[in-house]
Amino acid sequence: MADTLLKAKAIIKEFGAPVPTRVLHGIDLSIECGEFCALIGNSGSGKSTLLNIIGALDRPSGGQVFIEGIDLAGLTDDELAFFRNQTMGFIFQFHFLLPQFTVLENVLIPHLIYRGKADKSARDRAMYLLEQVGLLHRRDYKANSISGGEQQRAAIARALMNQPRLILADEPTGNLDSKNSAHIFNLMRKINQENQTTFLIVTHDRNMAFSADRIIELKDGLIVRDECVCGQDPNQMLAVIEPLY
Amino acid sequence: MISSIRFELELALRFLTENRGQTTLILLGITIGVAVMVFLSALIDGLQADLIDKTVGSSPHIIVTRQAQEPLQLPEGSSHTGLFPLQLQRSGNRPIVEWQALTTAMRHDSQLSAVLPVLDGAAIIRRGSVSKSVALRGMALAEADPIYHISDSIIAGSPKMEPGSLLIGSELASELDLRPGDTVMLEIIGQDPISQLVGGIFDLGVQNLNKRWVIIDRTRAASLLGMQDRVTEIEMQVNDIFSASDLAQRWAERLPGYEVVSWQESNASLLSALKSQSNSSYTIQFFVLLAVTLGVSSVLAISAVQKSKQIGILKAIGIRTASVERVFMLQGGILGTVGSIGGTILGTAMAQIFIFMASSDQQFALLLKPATVAIIVALTLLSAILAAYLPARQVARTNPVEVIRNG
Ligand SMILES: Nc1ncnc2c1ncn2[C@@H]1O[C@H](COP(=O)(O)OP(=O)(O)OP(=O)(O)O)[C@@H](O)[C@H]1O
Ligand SMILES: [Mg+2]
Repeated sequence: MADTLLKAKAIIKEFGAPVPTRVLHGIDLSIECGEFCALIGNSGSGKSTLLNIIGALDRPSGGQVFIEGIDLAGLTDDELAFFRNQTMGFIFQFHFLLPQFTVLENVLIPHLIYRGKADKSARDRAMYLLEQVGLLHRRDYKANSISGGEQQRAAIARALMNQPRLILADEPTGNLDSKNSAHIFNLMRKINQENQTTFLIVTHDRNMAFSADRIIELKDGLIVRDECVCGQDPNQMLAVIEPLY
Repeated sequence: MISSIRFELELALRFLTENRGQTTLILLGITIGVAVMVFLSALIDGLQADLIDKTVGSSPHIIVTRQAQEPLQLPEGSSHTGLFPLQLQRSGNRPIVEWQALTTAMRHDSQLSAVLPVLDGAAIIRRGSVSKSVALRGMALAEADPIYHISDSIIAGSPKMEPGSLLIGSELASELDLRPGDTVMLEIIGQDPISQLVGGIFDLGVQNLNKRWVIIDRTRAASLLGMQDRVTEIEMQVNDIFSASDLAQRWAERLPGYEVVSWQESNASLLSALKSQSNSSYTIQFFVLLAVTLGVSSVLAISAVQKSKQIGILKAIGIRTASVERVFMLQGGILGTVGSIGGTILGTAMAQIFIFMASSDQQFALLLKPATVAIIVALTLLSAILAAYLPARQVARTNPVEVIRNG
């Protein structure tokens, strides 16, 4: 249980040439298997940038990222693509479902990319996930014909398809109303508890943040707070977070 | 890799069917382009096949003689069309003694379809006070028919060449006002004139032949000309008309001391005319192909922009850059395939309609060569895939981070 899933060492990220702006100023971060972490911070503090680097979508300007002990810098772009496909699930603010495919097909896509065809066990898993997110009855709808909340739930099912060890979510509820937000959050929490899937969620939602196991706060590209909130009184937590905003 | 292609193909098909309007338009474009290329090819090929057939269909493709070719001299008063049937171009050749061994060897060459030993001589035909100089051609009817179709060209009398009778051309017959059964005087230089019967009158379709040729049986020609068992040339036809010059070359190597001339050598101007005609047709086809290529390229470029978000998310989910490239190349390939099939059907239909409409006063038939169609289809397919290459490369490099950042 105490295995380290993710280890980031002195992550630096700079954008722009010839005069680069440094966005991340040396991030050290370690996340254990099964942790449910919230990443918070002001707009522009570097949350998405850090998430993308951890998610192997972007390469850091300096420092190292290890996931399950593998140094991401040692992998080629194609190897990273396969690594993402097998190890990670992404949930974004915008769902990005493929409108040409049905809901069920969208959930299967991470599997299809490398397998070409879905066998029975893959279909069963996709159906199970759709049931988990409450979309079984929508499985044969075209992805763009269901509601925004439903689309985001379908995107969560898609992120879980290949049984990833790490789910990275960037403001997954940013586009949803509070009822749908709560639904999505509870869903992620449930998956985390049932499968020990590790979550790192960027959020501006206070309720969500203090319902996590751990809160990591970024400010101007540095971690300024990293607290374990397990078992703490939510009201007390609220006091911790309140001054941030 | 093999299994990922399944998904790539599926994705390509979904992308194409999603933009129904765009896809239909570009398919229509490719179809029309291919149809034009197919139709134009059929037209040019048909025209050229007809021209070549008219020029050398009923004349020898290769002529073997024992003397260096003399400078080309057209018979006086002949209409100069630029097309010179080979048989008008020789005169006074040295006799071939071992012709029987040669023709036997030639008949064993499976690429030759007809072999005709001929004994030529100069003569004068006289009727009353009118006389005409003619070419006396000694040949066996059975051997001559495969090349000249003399039996089928008889317009009066009989093709049979009995002793004392000869066959003359329609032009000569009208100049001398001759009918089958009439008698004429045949004068061979250095010999006494002899009286001959007109057995038949032929029309070989070429004015000069109809005017100058007098055909008699070869053995009789030999005795009249005092050349026992000799011929002056061997004429041949080949199965594949364009192989004639290669075959002539081969036989020239086998027959030192002989002159072997193919129809291509003596029709260089016709061939160069045909070549420039082909070239202009190729030029048109090239630009049609270019237009098709640009069309496919621009449609896919637009599609690439429209799909960049989806490509970005697919890349985040783990699709490889090369995979995305293939998705777009496949779209080009699918468009090319469907368009070429449609275009081949439309082009063939256009050719059929053309034949049907022009049937009454048609000068030539369209010629649809499967090999030409195959080349057009292959080139179209290749162009469509190449056209997809740039958009494919561009979209495959989509950075998922950019897409995610900008929503
Ligand atoms: N590709 C890029 N090129 C240049 N600058 C960038 C790029 N990506 C991010 N930045 C800059 O880096 C900084 C951090 O951006 P980032 O998106 O990580 O912030 P964030 O914490 O996710 O903010 P938000 O809460 O608004 O999403 C910002 O100043 C942003 O302008
Ligand atoms: Mg962000």
